[in-house]
Amino acid sequence: MKQELQLKLQAYVDGELPDHEAGEVSELLAQDTEVRGLVSELKNTRAALAGFEADIKLPENREFYWSKIEREIQRFEKAETAVSPVSIFAAWRRFLIPASAIAALVMGVLMVGRQVGHEGAHRGPETETTFADSGAFTYRDYASGMTLVWLSYPAENDLLETNPGNRLD
Amino acid sequence: MKDKFSGAFLLWRVALLLLFATFAGRCAQTNELKFESQLIWATNDKQSPNPKHKDVEPEIRKKLDELPLKWKSYFEVNRKQFSIAKGAASKVAMSEKCGIDVKDVDGKKVEVALISKGEAVWTRTQPLPKGEILILSGNAPDKTAWLITLKRIE
Repeated sequence: MKQELQLKLQAYVDGELPDHEAGEVSELLAQDTEVRGLVSELKNTRAALAGFEADIKLPENREFYWSKIEREIQRFEKAETAVSPVSIFAAWRRFLIPASAIAALVMGVLMVGRQVGHEGAHRGPETETTFADSGAFTYRDYASGMTLVWLSYPAENDLLETNPGNRLD
Repeated sequence: MKDKFSGAFLLWRVALLLLFATFAGRCAQTNELKFESQLIWATNDKQSPNPKHKDVEPEIRKKLDELPLKWKSYFEVNRKQFSIAKGAASKVAMSEKCGIDVKDVDGKKVEVALISKGEAVWTRTQPLPKGEILILSGNAPDKTAWLITLKRIE
């Protein structure tokens, strides 16, 4: 069935056709079962819709009701576009708060590092001076944090008492 | 907005806490360096002929065993604790004939001088962080040895 005929049948069901066209459709209805079926279906649908719409009553007239919805939509659109851009202060604050916190952290870490470095692993240059003899050697054990210096001077008797049993006193 | 800044504020709090702890730690630091020094006699004899001598502490003994020293016994002859102000020096007599002169250098290093018969015969300047030990040593009669340990306590 052509769409044009379908539309004509719809208009017929709605009572919108002029008399001569309505007469043509009536003839068709008498001859064509397919046309009859479609018109019957359209009538049933119209009846169902008409019954459903009967319960919905707008508090105001149709135009005023839809104009209210339109105004609400326009109001939301304006509110979205009217969101003010981020102020310079807020932008700076957004940048400065984490930046200054990181700077403070870095400062703290550096201070702790200096403290630890002073106390711990960062060792400055080591100098050694032997006035009488250069025969000293140095052994450094980093694991146990010990430095052993073996001196060939002073001579063995210079530092110690030599009486047996009374040494080193 | 609040959510965006909550992480940053948390970071700030951590940073402030760290700074406060650091400053508190620095303020709590004393202006004195504390040391402990021992005069030790190293020998292969099991016992010292001097009854005043006693075995060195296990901690020192363990550290001495880690060094390339050959002796079987180490006896503590004398032990002294002393402290020096930052930038100052202190002479410590370890026996009648020997001692050490310890001087703080710039708060970063110590200058240690070995004193023999009242005169400095050897000096060494090095960092000595807390817990580290500097050992001066040399030959003593009868194939024994003397050791002077200098340990930074604080």
